[in-house]
Amino acid sequence: MPPAAMSSGTAKAQARTLPGDMAIWFFILAELLVFGVFFLAYAFARARHVALFDHYQQTLDRTSGAINTLVLITSSWCVVNAVAAIRRDRADLCTRWLLAAIGGGAVFVVLKLHEFAEKAAAGITLSTNTFYMFYLSLTFFHFMHVLMGMVILAFVAAKARRGGYDAGNHTGVETGASYWHMVDLVWIVLFPLVYVMH
Amino acid sequence: MCREDALVRIARIAWVVLCLLTLATWAVGRAGLYGPAIVALLLLSVLVKGQVVIDVFMGLRGVRGPWRWLVSGWLVTVLVLIGVAYWSGREA
Repeated sequence: MPPAAMSSGTAKAQARTLPGDMAIWFFILAELLVFGVFFLAYAFARARHVALFDHYQQTLDRTSGAINTLVLITSSWCVVNAVAAIRRDRADLCTRWLLAAIGGGAVFVVLKLHEFAEKAAAGITLSTNTFYMFYLSLTFFHFMHVLMGMVILAFVAAKARRGGYDAGNHTGVETGASYWHMVDLVWIVLFPLVYVMH
Repeated sequence: MCREDALVRIARIAWVVLCLLTLATWAVGRAGLYGPAIVALLLLSVLVKGQVVIDVFMGLRGVRGPWRWLVSGWLVTVLVLIGVAYWSGREA
């Protein structure tokens, strides 16, 4: 086979390969399933208590929710750049993009903690009403995933910094990236569902 | 242009699209708009955003096997059922 045809064939084969470790995709599917059940439980509970959900939804800080969406989307974009960098054998650049992504996660965490603190100060708990039960449990469950994603990215960044990844060996970077994109994908559904739709 | 350059360029466009759709969602909430048409638009916006994340950020477009369809299928199923729940709430 001519070299050009061979490299073209290799590129096609790479394009068809699942990014990262296959195990993380089974984990991602399981996570999506759990979040999906949570979202539908919220939506159908709202259908039974429309007035209550619509009333208390107005107490949420939509601007904070939108900023958090922008932050997570930007953080996800940083991770895409980190993957592209390591595929070019630029471990230094990969590390910087991953640190930027972790920074985005940190902004999300600070804003969310502020939101939780405000609700706690107002005496709002899981047992206040059905809306807050869903709002607090859904957003806290997602919040824990953001923290876990940040830890994963931090491990990947540390290994990239030590030269543990290169253009031919970067499954770990793609695995961490896939998990972080899942966290982003879930928030993209959660934000309009809980903060906007009524 | 190498494959990674194209990926970075497409990801930049995707990021802009995702940000614009997020700002549109925020504007809908701030304006207090509601009703079936608004909900349908919001769900459509989430579908577009989610598919962009799946195809471009996750890189599942063109991947061998059922992975893209499983994740996209999750997204479509959840959004359709949220729509059904919304409409059942209006009728109740």
